[in-house]
Amino acid sequence: MCIAGIMDKLIDDEMLVAQFQSGRQNAFDELMKRYKSKIFSYLLRSVRNYEDAEDITIEVFFKAYRALENWQPKAKFSTWLYKIASNLAIDYHRTKARHPVSALEDMEIPEANLVATDLYSDPVQQVEDQERGRIIREAIDQLSPKQKAVFMLSRYEGLQLKEVAETLEMAEGTVKIHLHRAVKRLQTLLRPLWENNEI
Amino acid sequence: MPKCIKSEGQAIDYASKLLSPEEEEPFEEHLKNCPDCTEAVQSFSTVLQLTDQAQSELRLPELALQDIEMNVYKRLAAAHEQTLLSRVRASIANFGSLFRWYRTAAASTIIIATITITLLWGRFFPDPVPPLPDEQSAVARIEQYRQQDIQRNLEEVMIAHHLRNDEWATESQLQRMKEQAHGTNWMQVADAHLQNLHSGTLNTP
Repeated sequence: MCIAGIMDKLIDDEMLVAQFQSGRQNAFDELMKRYKSKIFSYLLRSVRNYEDAEDITIEVFFKAYRALENWQPKAKFSTWLYKIASNLAIDYHRTKARHPVSALEDMEIPEANLVATDLYSDPVQQVEDQERGRIIREAIDQLSPKQKAVFMLSRYEGLQLKEVAETLEMAEGTVKIHLHRAVKRLQTLLRPLWENNEI
Repeated sequence: MPKCIKSEGQAIDYASKLLSPEEEEPFEEHLKNCPDCTEAVQSFSTVLQLTDQAQSELRLPELALQDIEMNVYKRLAAAHEQTLLSRVRASIANFGSLFRWYRTAAASTIIIATITITLLWGRFFPDPVPPLPDEQSAVARIEQYRQQDIQRNLEEVMIAHHLRNDEWATESQLQRMKEQAHGTNWMQVADAHLQNLHSGTLNTP
């Protein structure tokens, strides 16, 4: 790694934003490098479709690039980026709810393709694991867009409740209410399945 | 479900490890004597364990991640072109209203002033400052990422051919490289390697 690359790693996000705002475009590349994987995995968990997750990730950085010039460091850069991603994911789910795709279209990306497979493990076990994973992810899909966003951000993106509140522009108390409802709903959906040994 | 005075929310927070140390300790004490809350905590913990496991199984496609920067710059370039196009269209749409004499006079003055300033600028500032490397346009960025992509594919060709000895992968990487290198010298390089591969004389890609 070159010295400039090492230096970039040592610079915090907000400083990179300041550099970008003063005309150093490479600073945006570094920000993309830092966050593309996190944003993509967050969106993949949310929308469960590679192509859509990729398109929305591109849209996140596109919007960030255009808005970064006037960005003020009121919150962390990462929180702001997750805010863009969350809004786009919520829009995506709303659009999808209004225009549900046909079963045929929905089969384009098989669930098995989303899951890492171990070539050396038992294939029967693998199919069972994939099926269990599919059922659980479908249960998560049944949460409301806001419950889902709160659940994902706090559980898998490592955001504190305060940061989730900033990201989704909610009061911290409201975030907790959404989180409690999400977990409760998942319990209602999944409990009968694990009690019947179906998952 | 808990029938005691403690709320379900506290059981969820405990299972999610969201209670502060000051809240956690008394709740743990409470759990020792409350089967309802203990059962609720176990149930919520199972939910979280199952969802964590299902989410951790999702894999990230490395190839999609490699293309994201280039696609962002492509999107920016397309948006820039669209903005220019819409401006031209708006100007054409407004053209009819320019025929009023005073607007025509104002437009002519602006055009003459612009030409004069451009000519004078060239005279007084003959050496324009070269653009800084950081100030590359989106198009230059796309080209830069394309070059990086070509190089990455060439590396993949070397790995597939020399380390894995995988002829099929070598050929598909070369085809991919050829597609990406369209219009550059790299395309001929890929072609030559493909020919060598087919004749069995590919040694050093």
